[in-house]
Amino acid sequence: MRSRDYLGEFEHIVVLALMRLGDRAYGVTVRQEIAARIGRDVSVGAIYATLDRLEAKGYVKSRLGEPTAERGGRSKRFFRVTANGVSAVNRTHRALLSMSKGINLVGRYSS
Amino acid sequence: MMPSAVRPPVVAAWLVGLFTPDRQTESITGDLLEEFSDLTSKSGVSSARRWYWRQSTKTIAHLIGNQFRSSPWLIATTVLGGLVLLTVGGSWPSQGIVALVHLRRHHVTPYYSPSEMKTYFFWLESGIFIGEDVMSLLVGCVVAMAAKGKEMAATMTLGFLATLIHAGIAVSVAKHAHADAFALLRLFPVRLFASAILVVIGGVIVREIRFAAARRLSRA
Repeated sequence: MRSRDYLGEFEHIVVLALMRLGDRAYGVTVRQEIAARIGRDVSVGAIYATLDRLEAKGYVKSRLGEPTAERGGRSKRFFRVTANGVSAVNRTHRALLSMSKGINLVGRYSS
Repeated sequence: MMPSAVRPPVVAAWLVGLFTPDRQTESITGDLLEEFSDLTSKSGVSSARRWYWRQSTKTIAHLIGNQFRSSPWLIATTVLGGLVLLTVGGSWPSQGIVALVHLRRHHVTPYYSPSEMKTYFFWLESGIFIGEDVMSLLVGCVVAMAAKGKEMAATMTLGFLATLIHAGIAVSVAKHAHADAFALLRLFPVRLFASAILVVIGGVIVREIRFAAARRLSRA
């Protein structure tokens, strides 16, 4: 993993959702958190594709929960952000702030 | 167990299972089922079923895209291998079947009545197509076995390319062949997609066998 890797737009959103949800973070709650916060209806497939990529990069870790009846006896996969993941969020956030510093986005480009 | 009236659409659930990697099957199908149950109690079964179909379609599109992104070389290599097999060995089973039909005519029952001649020509023509179909199915299975975890992306790509190649052949035959060959072209709309569909069915068979084996292992 390179120390200057930045998160992609959707990766950034998903990691922030995981941080907000803490111990309750799994596919359904992440999807609902994103829909509630930014009004974006994303598919379960998009969430898991991104989480899989983040896990491969070492930014998140997952564990299987207990099977539940409401899920037809299937387990939930809970996710949590690793220390590397937190660093990546900070790095990306700082980069975005640096790039937008001094630009009057509202006044200049709002229609 | 859920009553069948409030179960998610069977076909949609099956399709999601086909495209989901083994390690994510439990989480993705479980998440869909959990939200489906939630929606059923809030907005009714038909609305929940519509939601399930929409989610399944979007999820499958993402899973296919992810298969291409995560292993582009594996998919490219297996598809190329499949195309070579279809091109080089595509006529082997047909040749075998035609040889059998000829053998029966020339060495077993050399004298045919008109009705037997009809049967002979029917098997000669059908034998070629049956052979092609068997080969397409086998190639689909081989490609899916090689593209482990990416069975559906690999066989769907191969099926798409096979359709393009068949369409190219059809156009070329239509341009250059003499009038008699046009009789064969009547079969092209069917033949155009037969190979692609059978290649994908081969992928489905291998995927289902692997999925069942993985389920048995996780239960043990």
